[in-house]
Amino acid sequence: SASLSERSEQMRDKLRKWREDNHRNSEQIVDVGEELINEHASKLGDDIWIIYEQVMIAALDCSRDDLAWTCLQELKRQFPGSQRVKRLAGMRLEALEKYEDASKQYDSILQDDPTNTAARKRKISILKAQGKSAEAIRELNEYLEQFVGDQEAWHELSELYINEHDYGKAAFCLEELMMTNPHNHLYCEQYAEVKYTQGGLENLELSRKYFAQALKLNNRNMRALFGLYMSASHIAASPKVNATVKKANVKYATWATNQINRAYQLAGRGTKENKCSVKAVEEMLESITMS
Amino acid sequence: LSYFCLFHSGAYCKMLLHAAKYPHCAVNGLLVAEKQKEKKKDSHSTPILCVDCIPLFHGTLALAPMLEVALTLIDTWCKENKYVIAGYYQANERTKDFRPNQVAEKVGARIAENFSEAAMIMVDSTRFTMGCYEPILAIYDHHENKWKCRDCNVDSFEDWCEAQKITSALLEGRSYESLIDFDNHLDDLRNDWTNPEINKSVLHLC
Repeated sequence: SASLSERSEQMRDKLRKWREDNHRNSEQIVDVGEELINEHASKLGDDIWIIYEQVMIAALDCSRDDLAWTCLQELKRQFPGSQRVKRLAGMRLEALEKYEDASKQYDSILQDDPTNTAARKRKISILKAQGKSAEAIRELNEYLEQFVGDQEAWHELSELYINEHDYGKAAFCLEELMMTNPHNHLYCEQYAEVKYTQGGLENLELSRKYFAQALKLNNRNMRALFGLYMSASHIAASPKVNATVKKANVKYATWATNQINRAYQLAGRGTKENKCSVKAVEEMLESITMS
Repeated sequence: LSYFCLFHSGAYCKMLLHAAKYPHCAVNGLLVAEKQKEKKKDSHSTPILCVDCIPLFHGTLALAPMLEVALTLIDTWCKENKYVIAGYYQANERTKDFRPNQVAEKVGARIAENFSEAAMIMVDSTRFTMGCYEPILAIYDHHENKWKCRDCNVDSFEDWCEAQKITSALLEGRSYESLIDFDNHLDDLRNDWTNPEINKSVLHLC
């Protein structure tokens, strides 16, 4: 019937979009995917295999081992001996916290194919899951020496360093990412946040520059806008800066505050919370102009 | 001298909804209490009622600028509503890890500067169930620059049965999908971190 195939089309599109966006909305993927697999499998054609993979990973996230097992069996049957399916089997072992068995699974993949990046990254994920941050960092550094272009890995490493409060090394990772992705406003903004957290006047000035750069790349990045305000007003308030620098930073901070105000006006439906945010921003503005 | 805080059902449930929304991430947030009119001499006998919870961030918690922004904005909101920031909660990324880390201690200490009876709360995800059969928090008090763990049981709640019923119902109904934290607000300013819809649901279930 028309409405039934419409429904399966919609579900298929949803799953595709979530795949493309790399969304980790596992509960929704399981809801939609399970229905699609159970009731509309015949309409999916070859898409069914990538859907099995997507649903399996989401099922692991939701402790739905029954569903994950079903998907895995279908994939094993269709792709016997596949490294990609072997990796999925490894992920299931990880979800069951059978880390040694999972590690062996990945080692067997690497024996056949030493350049299998997916298996290497899963091994590092195991270290992370076990709380072995120092080892995970070490392994990830080694990995990046070989696979220097792996952006996902650089980003993961920056996060590991941030969690260890090693902001200098986190900044280095983000510098790599900014170099290879000069138009990515998110990397700029994250770099600025790391520099700000590192502290000290020099890092604050760097953070201000990179918040501004992120804004140039995307003028709706609110974190960058708020960051510009915070860094500029801290610099302006510092006893170590001369009058010229202070004046310039008051100007930046004032500009940022006005932009923030404008953004809230645009977003606001006159909600109470919004009015408070606007008030807070006005107070921020007063505090700079008074200093 | 032992001060203790009582959790309002809405405050407790929002903490758990936040953790449930991002099971693969660390999450953190603030607890607010009603501002006491005068500081009584025997104020240690008056419990601090944590009336609301503001979920802050998910993922990387160890960066400063957005935390400072959140504290500034929420402070203004508190003043408007005669609230005071009274506590900080955190759920770590790894389920089995429920000890406070450097971030928790730093933010907790910062809050304690403005509110001496501030509590630092760690969520124990290993005991997290849909049925919410027991409170899953560990409460830490700031004593002489150290954080000391205090027992959290049903007496830490204004009405544990109510808190349990409401939290369980909202978890079952997947209300966490619509919970807004400060990160969501920064992604889109229209997202309201006071969570009026969830507040309505809580009142409805009371």
